[in-house]
Amino acid sequence: MTAPHAAQLIDGYLARLNAAASDLPKAARQELVDDVRVHITEARARETEETDAAILNILDRLGEPAAVVADARERLGVRAPQPYRPGVLEVLAVILVPFFWPIGVILLWISPAWHWRDKVIGTLVPPGGYLGVSILALVAASSRSSGCITMTNAAGAVIEDTCQQAGPSWLQVLGAVMLGIVIYVLPLITAGYLAIRLRWGRPRQAALA
Amino acid sequence: MALIVKTPRYAFDLIEALGKTGLLTTEGTLYPLLSRLRRDGLVKTEWRESTDGPPRRYYELTAEGRRALIAFKNEWTSFRGAVDGILQEGK
Repeated sequence: MTAPHAAQLIDGYLARLNAAASDLPKAARQELVDDVRVHITEARARETEETDAAILNILDRLGEPAAVVADARERLGVRAPQPYRPGVLEVLAVILVPFFWPIGVILLWISPAWHWRDKVIGTLVPPGGYLGVSILALVAASSRSSGCITMTNAAGAVIEDTCQQAGPSWLQVLGAVMLGIVIYVLPLITAGYLAIRLRWGRPRQAALA
Repeated sequence: MALIVKTPRYAFDLIEALGKTGLLTTEGTLYPLLSRLRRDGLVKTEWRESTDGPPRRYYELTAEGRRALIAFKNEWTSFRGAVDGILQEGK
C-alpha cells in the first residue's frame, strides 16, 4: 500500500536536496540525488505497511538535505558558497548609474553582486540617470512653450500672448519643487538602494578548491 | 570499507549493516563517502539486476582499496593502543 502523501513527501525531500546541492558540480549533484532516490525506493520496499510516518522516518534517517550536502562538499573538496565580495566594479556601477547612465547600467548588469530585480530597478529608476531626466525635463519644457500662442500685428508688435500669465500659484511652485526632487534626488536614492542591496550580496557559485 | 572486503554489497545493504553498529547517524552521508571512494579508485561499482525492485549498484574493493584498508587497520591499531595506554594511566 502506498502512503497517502508519499509522493509529496519524497519529491519535497529530493527537491530540497537538489536545491541544497546547487553549488556542487552538476554530475556530482545528479549522482547524489539519484543515489538517494534509489535508497528511498529500497527503504520503501522493506516497509510491510507503508504509512506517511514510515516515509518520514526513512527521510529522517537519511538526514537533513543541508547536512548531506555539507558532507558531500567536504568529500569533493568543494568550498561552501561564500558571499560575493563587492569590488571596484560594483563601486563604479553605483557611482556611474546616476551620473553616467549607459556605462553604469552596463557595469550593473555585468556584476554578479545584485539580484535580477535590483538590476531592473537600477536601470529604470530613473531611466537614463541625471542625463535621462534632464532630457525629459527639457522635452517637457519645450512642449509647454510650444503651446504658447503669440499673436502679432502687421507691425510685429505683440497684441496677445497666451503665455503671459499671472504669477505662479503655490500649486505650481509645489509641483516644480516635487519635480526638482524627483530629478535630483531619485537618482541618488537609487544609487543608495543599490549600495544597500550590495552589502547582502549573493553567494557566488562555489569553485572546486 | 571493511564491510565490502569479503563480498560486494549494495548501498542499502551497507547502510543496514552500519546501522546495526550504531556508527551511522545520517544515512544520506554514506552516498557522498561512497562516491568519493569510487573517485579515488578504492572501490569499484557494478550495476546488477535485483529480484525485487530496480537494479542496484554494488560496491567492491579494488586492489588499491584493499591496500588502503590494511594501512588503515595498522594505523587504527596503533592509535587504539595509544589511547588505551592513556586511559590506563588515568586509572
